[in-house]
Amino acid sequence: MVTEQPPNDVREAWQRQETEGARMSLEEIRGKAGKLQSKVGSRNRLEYIAVVLVVLGYGFYIYHYHSFTIRLGSILVIAGTLYVAYQLHKRASARALPQDCDFECCVDFHRRELERQRDALGSVWSWYLGPLVPGLVVFFLGTVFQPMPPRHGHHPWIALAISLTLCSLVFFFIGKLNQWAARALQRQIDELNAAAEPR
Amino acid sequence: MADRTIPTEATRQDALYEEAAADYGAALERLARAYEADADKRRDLLQEIHVAMWRSFAKFDGRCSPRTWVYRVAHNTATTHVMQQARAAKMMGIEELEELPDTSAEGDSDRREALERLLALIQKLRPLDRQLMVSYLEGMDAAAIGEITGLSATNVATKIHRVKALLARRFQEGGGHGD
Repeated sequence: MVTEQPPNDVREAWQRQETEGARMSLEEIRGKAGKLQSKVGSRNRLEYIAVVLVVLGYGFYIYHYHSFTIRLGSILVIAGTLYVAYQLHKRASARALPQDCDFECCVDFHRRELERQRDALGSVWSWYLGPLVPGLVVFFLGTVFQPMPPRHGHHPWIALAISLTLCSLVFFFIGKLNQWAARALQRQIDELNAAAEPR
Repeated sequence: MADRTIPTEATRQDALYEEAAADYGAALERLARAYEADADKRRDLLQEIHVAMWRSFAKFDGRCSPRTWVYRVAHNTATTHVMQQARAAKMMGIEELEELPDTSAEGDSDRREALERLLALIQKLRPLDRQLMVSYLEGMDAAAIGEITGLSATNVATKIHRVKALLARRFQEGGGHGD
């Protein structure tokens, strides 16, 4: 006969199961916590280095070229990059789960984080790729109008068309990659909702 | 005159952590087992839980008991781990598990095998049901489970009833598997 009471020894067996007695010293704990922190720190550093490189590169063009269009394009690219860095920090930076959180709050936090990341990835044209477009277009146009001594076989409009095509392809590819990633995040959100569904 | 050092925030945090690790270390190991079947990943998860617990004690304000605090932090860390493993879609609720046939062999009646079956059962559960099952197995009452999970008393009572029924069916059918 099956009773509705589980045998007490199920609980007992659970509580008496052998454990390894694994302990971490405070030094180990601090070391591990520090490592996690420096992982986040090094990701941020990479982003800042990329921004500095773009600013230095286009800063050099501003200094070196006297063409108004190239200088304007460079200023716009720098402004676009700074805007992207700000948006990246605002939209994609990792947040910590509040400490005193029950199940619903924990799931809500993860859902909000995933939605935030999904929205950031799904809208890269408005805050990541888009702000760089005006600067790059003006910069490439500037290279066409740049007064240069006539050279045999130099076709500035063809060079412009190639640069713009390549740039468009790269941007299109980045946009698609981000869309795929956003869809993958949506699947994770759906799984989370299914897993956390109250019964 | 004796040198009496006033405890700083850091030493308070360390002391709270050490006390909790001594009191709940074994329970946290069991909890990690309920969330991760792979031994290496489980070791990592347990370390993550300890780090999260140590960190959390910097903000512990005593509004709930240290036990509730420790279990909340541990379950949240483990739930995050499960969600990141992208296995959530394959998980079930207690009700769905009740409907699944018990595939255990007749002879697996020793404690070790019963424990393995119990772990396999728990690892199929959705995070909230898993929290509830683990808390029940750890011997907590409904009020403590409600405090940890944030579920209402009625909800906890209903779910515990289902947990008990599920365990009764799985560990009594076929002749005392739970022995």
